[in-house]
Amino acid sequence: MAASQASLLLQKQLKDLCKNPVDGFSAGLVDENNIFEWSVTIIGPPDTLYEGGFFNAIMSFPSNYPNSPPTVKFTSELWHPNVYPDGRVCISILHPPGDDPNGYELASERWTPVHTVESIVLSIISMLSSPNDESPANVEAAKEWRDRRDDFKKKVGRCVRKSQEML
Amino acid sequence: MDDTDYMNDDNYYDDDDDGFSDCDDDDDDQSIEEESNDRQNYTVLKEEEIAKLQEDAITEVSAVLSISQSAACFVLTQFNWNVINLNDEWFADEDRIRQKVGLLEQPVVQFNPKNQRTICGICFEVYGYGSMYSAACGHRYCGECWRGYISTAIKDGPACLMLRCPEPPCRAAVGPDLISVLVSKQEYERYRHYLLRSYVEQQTKIKWCPAPDCKYAVRFDSYETRSYDVSCLCSHSYCWNCTEESHRPVDCETVRKWIMKNKDSSQNAQWILVNTKPCPKCKRPIQKNQGCHHMTCSAPCRYEFCWYCLAKFESYSTRCCNAYRANTDELKELDLEPDQKKLKEYLDRYLHYYERWANNQSSKEKAVESLEEVRTKHIMELIRKQQYLSELELNFIIDAWQQIIECRQVLRWSYAYGYYMPEDERLKADLFEHLQGHAEYSLERLHKCAETELQPYLASEVELKESFHAFRLKLENMTRATKDYFRKLVTALENGLSEVDGV
Repeated sequence: MAASQASLLLQKQLKDLCKNPVDGFSAGLVDENNIFEWSVTIIGPPDTLYEGGFFNAIMSFPSNYPNSPPTVKFTSELWHPNVYPDGRVCISILHPPGDDPNGYELASERWTPVHTVESIVLSIISMLSSPNDESPANVEAAKEWRDRRDDFKKKVGRCVRKSQEML
Repeated sequence: MDDTDYMNDDNYYDDDDDGFSDCDDDDDDQSIEEESNDRQNYTVLKEEEIAKLQEDAITEVSAVLSISQSAACFVLTQFNWNVINLNDEWFADEDRIRQKVGLLEQPVVQFNPKNQRTICGICFEVYGYGSMYSAACGHRYCGECWRGYISTAIKDGPACLMLRCPEPPCRAAVGPDLISVLVSKQEYERYRHYLLRSYVEQQTKIKWCPAPDCKYAVRFDSYETRSYDVSCLCSHSYCWNCTEESHRPVDCETVRKWIMKNKDSSQNAQWILVNTKPCPKCKRPIQKNQGCHHMTCSAPCRYEFCWYCLAKFESYSTRCCNAYRANTDELKELDLEPDQKKLKEYLDRYLHYYERWANNQSSKEKAVESLEEVRTKHIMELIRKQQYLSELELNFIIDAWQQIIECRQVLRWSYAYGYYMPEDERLKADLFEHLQGHAEYSLERLHKCAETELQPYLASEVELKESFHAFRLKLENMTRATKDYFRKLVTALENGLSEVDGV
């Protein structure tokens, strides 16, 4: 799909999200002139360790969106098994289709062009509530989450407070 | 080298009591039989022929499982083109296989005639129902979005053969029927290409020719063979089993070891084996520019010597230099620690074999060039200058060069064989060196004769009918004798030199 079609589709989604906001996050552009870079703020889901936090992330879309997935990178500090220390989010739906060489993910859980900003962010919110420690992006966080839950809670709590201070 | 020499040389070998030298009629029959066996061992397949085999497999599965050709093709790619496995599993539990590969019997989304207009789930535009497409599941998307989805998958590589419906939990197969109507001809060709490759890669008896850009594959038809040597239509000759160059008489495992060893040592070896050597007499650097190892320094020196051992050439016939002999005198002279001595001997031994292995390749390459020159230039020139000759009569020159090329290849690999000979089996080593020495000597003689003795007839402006006839007989005899020596060498080495077992 040509870049113009990708930008038309992204503009449509931006308009829809402004008109009908979705609970749990807000979305906008980093720079009004660039439809391919979105800034989203995810609200830590209630009844989870991340409750009360406001986590900022940048979504970068490729020119052949929706045939290839965007990348999502948290700019707020986030301690989570599926978020790399540099903030990149590692969830299966953001991986290109085809067979996973490691065999961790089913092809059906991977990127397909039906995904939208909304469905991606909802997947990230669900990731915050239930981490997947089988193929962790942050090995330390995964170990802590599994074996030393109290330490894990402390670190997450620190992230939540930090995100509130940044507001 | 003139004719008298040649006769003497023959006597030298015939007098030798190796028991191999007589070439009689029995051997010739055997060689014809061997060759015809080799010819029937494999078939070169063109792309159309592979596509036909693939189509036959698809048609068979489609008939046996009562599914469409497209579905049969898709399910076969998921089963690595193993028809037997597919049939077994399918008839054991058809539902499970359908579920696993995404072959739906019924659509999961029913067509509702009231909804004439539908939103495409990818671009969110509204389309008439008829202008949308779906896999067997019934999840409809517009043509443009499908095209983007499929093209991206094809661009990404062979995983496009496992394409599924874009709807997340749906795993319905997207097979060639849908793909062919949606993408450009060029993209579909690429998809077909991946299909063909996946087919060939899963066949145990078919392999692609390893030559760059070659589109042929070779099917090996028999496993009751010692030699996997094949020659593709693209003219690349190689071992079908390991896809390295032809390497009789050594086996694929030895080739692998030898190549690995050369990778480790080659920087060392290449540094030492520069392309020139000083003339042993006048010390002027000499570059080897022809295929045979009989060197003649340029005038006024005219010193003749062997490229390998640098010995004066007249002594070459009595002292072959194919066998490795540690240079004990040199080692004694050098003031080395025992460890260093060992290392030097080890390296010298390796270099001895490596140099000969590598040199036979360059000799072979030069022979290939010479053959090309004979074919395109010399034959025509000869017919023009020596009017009594016809093209057909000159085939013996081509035969000689083809024999030289083939023998260089065998001789090359016999040096890898030599390197890996167990050093404690002296009897075998002696027999090997003896056979290899004969073969090499015979080949050197043939190479030299083919390289130099045709020249006078090309240069001459007068007819030299009598002497040309003698040249022809000589070259033909040498070709035959060399072929025979090499056949014996190959047979003996492939038998593991079993003649001396139990002696």
